Amino acid sequence: MNLNSNETAFEINLKPAVAKRTARIPVKCKQKNRFIPVFLGTVAVLTILSLWYLEIDWGKMASRIPDVGEVFWDLAHLDFANMDLVFSSLVETISIAVLSLLYSLILGIIFGMLAAKNVFRIPVLSVVTQSFFTFLRAVPTPVWVLLMLVCLGMGPEAGVAGLCVHTTAFFTKSFAQSFENIPDETIEALEATGANRLSIFTNAILPAALPQIVAWAGMRLETNFSECAILGMVGAGGIGYVISNSLQGYDYGTAGVAILLVFLVAYCIERIFVRIKKKFS
Amino acid sequence: MEPILKFDRVSKHYPNGVHALKEVSLEVTEGEFISVIGPSGSGKSTLLRAINRLIPISGGTVWLDGQTVSNQHGKGLREQRRKVGMIFQNYNLVYSLSVLQNVLHGRLGYMNGFQGVFGLYREKDKREALDLLKELGLEQFSYNRASDLSGGQKQRVGIARAIMQNPKLLLCDEPIASLDPSSAKTIMELLRDMTQKRNIACIVNLHQLDVALKYSTRIIGLSKGEIVFDGTPAQLNDEMIEKIYGTSRENLMIGGNDDDKADTADCA
Repeated sequence: MNLNSNETAFEINLKPAVAKRTARIPVKCKQKNRFIPVFLGTVAVLTILSLWYLEIDWGKMASRIPDVGEVFWDLAHLDFANMDLVFSSLVETISIAVLSLLYSLILGIIFGMLAAKNVFRIPVLSVVTQSFFTFLRAVPTPVWVLLMLVCLGMGPEAGVAGLCVHTTAFFTKSFAQSFENIPDETIEALEATGANRLSIFTNAILPAALPQIVAWAGMRLETNFSECAILGMVGAGGIGYVISNSLQGYDYGTAGVAILLVFLVAYCIERIFVRIKKKFS
Repeated sequence: MEPILKFDRVSKHYPNGVHALKEVSLEVTEGEFISVIGPSGSGKSTLLRAINRLIPISGGTVWLDGQTVSNQHGKGLREQRRKVGMIFQNYNLVYSLSVLQNVLHGRLGYMNGFQGVFGLYREKDKREALDLLKELGLEQFSYNRASDLSGGQKQRVGIARAIMQNPKLLLCDEPIASLDPSSAKTIMELLRDMTQKRNIACIVNLHQLDVALKYSTRIIGLSKGEIVFDGTPAQLNDEMIEKIYGTSRENLMIGGNDDDKADTADCA
């Protein structure tokens, strides 16, 4: 009886497979995530609305494509005549990036210490610090630089100050996270010696988090350098100013040299920090 | 003799409703080597951490060296804490720092704000730390990173850090639970010898009954937050063991004693 029913079941299973050769075995989860179609639908609607709102002229854009090649061809004709200007502004950009990184590192460690929940164990302090820097982080760097330009006037000072705001906010959050990742037991061991909270921070938490701090700093130097190049265009000095100026004056050769140098420096920074990170871990 | 440590009806209940300690009273005098035994969750860890207020208690009073600990805060608490050295199962060193720096952490409780924050240790302390490392046979590792050491060596650094505090009392939370049998023996012998030499009272949380019997001058048995046994190793009979662990001796892995050998012989 049992055997029979098994056989019939087998036949039933087999029949449609033979009849419909296209029937495929399903592989996805039975429970479907209903959010995905909603998400995709929303994206599609938003895309159509944006295209309609911006009235993008696709025909005109397509007709200008050959120009792109032409501009890049012009950029490739490197012109080293203004090398001294390009070089000095590149050095200026690097200095702005390094200075803003250095100041932010110090500020980030201090504020990260206040923001980490396990350093002083005062929940209000960390919540207030975290939310203040979340607000600072929400405003993008170019906006901060423009604000600083208004306050401090044109020049590299505004660049350093503007970059510092955002970088400090970024470091505060990432360092606080690194500090919070230090095992509670290590902190407990130092507490048991009768050390005060600040000593525990400097003697245990900070040294243990140092490799992570170096990694964050390397990543951020790279970002700061490329952001710094953009910031020159809004008037904060440096290589960005040279690039935007020469592009506007159709001096593509100089712009090409400047862009190439920006690329080279960014690449070098990355390679150097990869090496340092390896040594630290 | 005035007791170093006194628990007066100490209770602890956690917010999740667990009663870790129920009106525990005990006294510890100088030179005692006490093992605290009991099943997991019996309150051993809580008992130890109640002494230096790493865990604040809910009721009763803890007296340390003639002063209360249970109501202390800030500077007063830190001054009490530095009288109590502590050793952990997982050593809890700062592994990116040198062995010597880890040992010197034991002095942080004695240093003023500025010196402590910047780790400006006195030459006298450094010499003492180096001597201590020599005594523990770790002299050649003084300037190595603590992460380079083996488990037993890390625990020896932990002991050195605790001894650097110049403590009146040493607390050891399962000091040999992560160690191989040979390192475990070294650590237990070091603990006994060093505390004896310096006249430091020592309280050790243990899971190994044979170790407790061998090294302690007194054994405290905890079960469900209550002291069910408090006496010398000789007084700890099978009935008492059953009371502590809630199961008879045959169901326990006691470790390397003669009974086991006899059992194996019987089976054969």
